[in-house]
Amino acid sequence: MMQIEQLSKSYGSSTALSDISIEVRDDEYVTLLGPSGSGKSTLLRIIAGLEKPDSGRVLLNGTDITSQPAHLRGLGIVQQSYALFPHLSVYDNIAFGLRFRKNSPVTDENLVKNAVTEIMNLVGLGGLENRSVGAISGGQKQRVSLARTLVTEPKICLLDEPLGALDANLRSSMTTELRRIRDSLGVAFLHVTGNETEALSMGDRTIVLDAGHAISFAKPDTLFDFPDTVRAAKILNAYNIFHGTASDKSFQFGDLKLPLPFETPNISFYAVRYDEFNIVSSSSPDALMHVNYLTQEFTGSSVTYFVEANQQIIEVVSHISTSDPIQYTLGEKLGLRWSSNRVLLYDANGALINQGKQNNEK
Amino acid sequence: MALFLVLPLAMMVYVSFWTQTTFAISSDLTLKSWKTFFASDTYFGALTRTLKIWLIVLAVTFALGYPAALFIGRYVKDKTTQTILLVACVIPFWTSFLIRVLAWRPMLGKEGAINIVLQKFGLIEQPIEVLLFTELSVIVGMVQIYVVFMVGPIAFMLARIDDSLIEAARDLGASSYTIFRRIIFPLSLPGVVVGAIFVSVMVLGEFATAAALSGRKVNLLGNIIVTQVGSLKWAFAAVVGVILTLVMALVITALLRLVNLRKEL
Repeated sequence: MMQIEQLSKSYGSSTALSDISIEVRDDEYVTLLGPSGSGKSTLLRIIAGLEKPDSGRVLLNGTDITSQPAHLRGLGIVQQSYALFPHLSVYDNIAFGLRFRKNSPVTDENLVKNAVTEIMNLVGLGGLENRSVGAISGGQKQRVSLARTLVTEPKICLLDEPLGALDANLRSSMTTELRRIRDSLGVAFLHVTGNETEALSMGDRTIVLDAGHAISFAKPDTLFDFPDTVRAAKILNAYNIFHGTASDKSFQFGDLKLPLPFETPNISFYAVRYDEFNIVSSSSPDALMHVNYLTQEFTGSSVTYFVEANQQIIEVVSHISTSDPIQYTLGEKLGLRWSSNRVLLYDANGALINQGKQNNEK
Repeated sequence: MALFLVLPLAMMVYVSFWTQTTFAISSDLTLKSWKTFFASDTYFGALTRTLKIWLIVLAVTFALGYPAALFIGRYVKDKTTQTILLVACVIPFWTSFLIRVLAWRPMLGKEGAINIVLQKFGLIEQPIEVLLFTELSVIVGMVQIYVVFMVGPIAFMLARIDDSLIEAARDLGASSYTIFRRIIFPLSLPGVVVGAIFVSVMVLGEFATAAALSGRKVNLLGNIIVTQVGSLKWAFAAVVGVILTLVMALVITALLRLVNLRKEL
């Protein structure tokens, strides 16, 4: 188990991490979601010992390792750039840690061979032993980098945007692969990503990092359905967030009045998930808000319509299974309909107000 | 290339078999010049001495140049400082080659700077005489002049090594020494080979440093060519020229064998 206590780090006047406390249990897949610049890579580098925190501690199974040099920590980091040794073959790259580590290196080449062969088969690299790392594909490089770390049996495997440099197809197959590999090894993974789909689909637990603060800790489904802060909702990239105030039983967004599920005075943010909206004609009595059509984007299984109200762009996701895509013209007046019971409300500090109510309904 | 490289080379080989008399040269083919070279201690000794001094200079420029390159290429993180330091290495080239060589005379001489300083501090009673006009002074001069050709290519290769490789190796548990031995040094090898080729080609053909700092006591192959050409012994100069060219070709081939430059650069 790894605990991170009140970790802070700044570069000059810019704060990279501020008072981060998180915990990674054994045999757990934790994803760390954050936009670029949120300090997620810095956090990983501090855990690995590649950088020193300004304050705070990193504990591994109860032992303080904050000041321990990186090569004695027994943690493994898989870097986004893969960082493969260009002068070594695939086999020698993977064997590097076993052969040359300071703590108990493996001197028996037969043992090295067994371990390397086993891990290569696990990550699906069998038969590529003698290839030069310059002569393999991006997905294979990613696997070599992962295998090179995993073969050393790290206590925790840290992944720094491991799928960032892969194309969409490879990314989705590696997503399943990573989970399978982790399950078969039973090592805790801490996976940093800027991609919300990746974070939600892979993690047993997801931590949301924003501007150096850890702002949410939850299971992916809870996080997605009820992001506990408005910043988290924004980072999830699945919510239309309206900023306004409450006024007589409704939410005042510009000159629009949005219905509230219950009466509450201290609301600053009103969030509706992209797929909770339905487009209706502007004359329909069901229309709760009037908008102007901008454009649409077809993604295969769904269509995203972009509409605008009060200079704010609103995204509406409609799944192909529920309705066929409809072509509108630019500037066409449309109405939006949604269930006021499904909206999320946040106070001025960005904290979720109606979580309890939502849970009761479920 | 055929006109300016192959033809002159072929001509040199051809001339080395011409018949040389005291005042004239004729194109009757003979092995006489070749036999003279290998039979004479003076000339064959020059070959072995050239090889010996080349090896020592190569080893010393590497031993001094590598740490300097390591400092510039890896410990100086700032690119501007790196460039400034590399430019500083070539500042001596702003003065003429001969002046740089001759400047060693007042340094190493019997009443030179080194002897005066050592005597002043009472470290020695008598001036050290072997400092100047010996093989040592030739080696010192050559090392000073050519070490920068070793530093440049190595520093360039070292600066190109991505920091993430070092971090990855450290994360995999390797100590600093292991990282140097297994990652940094192998990756800088192309630079070492390029530097060694520069130094080798220049040292093997060198004659001016030897002439100026040895008091004409240390004769290298280059010096022999100069004197033979000076006395119009074209055939014999051609023999030495052919031998020198062969030695250089062998050295470069051997160095290129060490590392596949086309792949690494």
